[in-house]
Amino acid sequence: MLTALYFDGHSARVRGVALQSAPGVLHVRGDGVDRAEPLSGLRISSKLGKSPRLVYFGDGAHCEIADHEQFEALLRDAGIKPVSALARLEGKWRHALAATALFVFFVFGSLAWGLPWIANIAAGKIPPRIALTIDTQFLKSIDGDMLLPTALSRPRQASLTRRFERLRDPDGMPPHSLIFRSSPEIGANAFALPGGTVVLTDQLVKLAANDEEILAVLAHELGHVKERHPLRQLLQSSVVGLAMTWYFGDISSLLAAAPTLLMERSYSRDFERRADRYAGILLRANGIAPERLADILEKLEAAHRGKKNKTEEEPSLFSRYFSTHPETSERIRDIRAEAQ
Amino acid sequence: MDTQVLAPVQPPQREHRFSFTGTGAEYFRIWIVNLVLTILTLGIFSAWAKVRRLQYFYRNTHLADSSFDYHGSPIAILKGRIIGFVLFAAYSVAAQISPLLWLCVLLLIGGIMPYLLATSFRFRFYNSSYRGLRFGFSGSVKGAYGVFLGLPIATLFTAYLLAPFTHHRIKAYQHNNTRFGQASFGFTATEGSFYRAYIFAFLQFLGLMILLGVGAYLVSKGKIAHLHGENKILAFVLGAYALMILSMLLVLPYFISRIQNLIWNGTHIGGNRFSSTMTAKGLAWILVGNFVLTIVTLGFYKPFAAVRLARYHLQNMALLPTGDMNEFIAGEQQQAGAAGMETAAFFDIDVGF
Repeated sequence: MLTALYFDGHSARVRGVALQSAPGVLHVRGDGVDRAEPLSGLRISSKLGKSPRLVYFGDGAHCEIADHEQFEALLRDAGIKPVSALARLEGKWRHALAATALFVFFVFGSLAWGLPWIANIAAGKIPPRIALTIDTQFLKSIDGDMLLPTALSRPRQASLTRRFERLRDPDGMPPHSLIFRSSPEIGANAFALPGGTVVLTDQLVKLAANDEEILAVLAHELGHVKERHPLRQLLQSSVVGLAMTWYFGDISSLLAAAPTLLMERSYSRDFERRADRYAGILLRANGIAPERLADILEKLEAAHRGKKNKTEEEPSLFSRYFSTHPETSERIRDIRAEAQ
Repeated sequence: MDTQVLAPVQPPQREHRFSFTGTGAEYFRIWIVNLVLTILTLGIFSAWAKVRRLQYFYRNTHLADSSFDYHGSPIAILKGRIIGFVLFAAYSVAAQISPLLWLCVLLLIGGIMPYLLATSFRFRFYNSSYRGLRFGFSGSVKGAYGVFLGLPIATLFTAYLLAPFTHHRIKAYQHNNTRFGQASFGFTATEGSFYRAYIFAFLQFLGLMILLGVGAYLVSKGKIAHLHGENKILAFVLGAYALMILSMLLVLPYFISRIQNLIWNGTHIGGNRFSSTMTAKGLAWILVGNFVLTIVTLGFYKPFAAVRLARYHLQNMALLPTGDMNEFIAGEQQQAGAAGMETAAFFDIDVGF
């Protein structure tokens, strides 16, 4: 006999009842209850782990059943599917393991292919005007802090800008512009922002042996601009950040702060290579030897290594984390090989 | 204790302890299957997954031999989620574009948030039941604007001196407006007790900060002052991290358990009181274990963590009845059978962004 708790929906009174199925009907009897309910008028809760099963009656009454085995047998007798498809999926470890595998595959797949693919499409759809406001915002937030006004003379700036603008890609290119800043903190560097603004530091201008080396770096940055790498990178890291917050919940606020920000600093190896290859083509088309890029990359790497050695005896954990990409020497080799 | 202000009641006959019968292993399977279905349906199934999650937790919560139940409709939840998603997307995009636009969106969200909160409370309570009787929420939208917009702004302008008061009023708004059948909940915890909990937690945090500062100084024998640029920043970041982690391990469990006890020991329904006996140590074990294991397992421990926490919360709660539990009767909203029409009017929205 299957026992259940019966609640009438009008009071919190508990009654112990017995359930019995007859063709097309469920009998509920005991403790002053005697009901014969047509099965078609009942709503039966889906199995959910070992939590009680519930049978809801049309008038607001319901039964609570703890004995799963007997209840499933009763349902089977009555010709009702005892366990829903979803509950069957949730019930077995092998389904859970398959789901885990699917989930892991999905996460890796979206990080490796899905997200870059979508970010690329989305980046092309964002109007240049909007992308440019991101540059303005970004500069506003770090100007005066990480970036200081340039110390280069106006004629020097004008001559570099002129040569930068003369680097022309016959296939066309999204809007771009060059700005000058000094940054003792970042050191010799150049970087492109999502709206096509290329920032060149005084320190890099000083480091370069000649203007062709500066133009080589700028051509590399134009490679990033042309393929919208900064915007794609921004979109990708925003989505990853959102997904992390959703998945980890509260914990992510503790985790997210430091490491993710640091990791998002560098482009993927693929982005760097593509920008290098583009720079090679653009430089050659403008009568500059692609080796200039390799030359300046060597100097940049040496400079950044030297800077670390000057400030303290051994490189700190912090600067090691920020270190220039380990694959820089590999890139230099490839640029030289391709230039042959 | 403040709870003695309560009605002239006889000593409780016996206490009914809450209990939780869900297990991590069981919930893990439910969680991962629903997670994958959510992904496969591009997020749409998440509303059904939420109903299933809540039903799992409610139906495994027992009091006096019977369990709780959840009746929310996934469609209403889906509507709420879409609204929440749109608001969040607008907020994130605006933040990237311009501070002015961001401020506008922030004001818009701030302006409608109390309304959304009041509706989501109504949704959540109306769709919760125990022994076949629905809960209900009758908090006014005006009241919600007071506690979720007015007071938080006032708190901001008083350098957070009003925070315990605001917290108290939020809980009073929630607990004073909740019904079970025809019986009303009431809230009698005092503002003073909230202030005491906040002040003790703050003193602990302060002590920890001083201890950590002195400790770091002694260990490094004053070397910190001579560190250069990057390493000084690093030392500072590490120090802040240590403080954050330590306060999470020590201060947070103390604060949460004390506030939780205050709230439930100060809540009654009719003449029946609740009791909550969480301890800082007990909660610290749960929170630390959950935190570490969730990170180590890349999040796969989350369902186990949720079950552990729910079990701890509920094991430490009891109802001290003065009368017969069977005497609660259904409220009018339930008898009128207007359920369908009413639910269509509100929707559930995830609060937490």
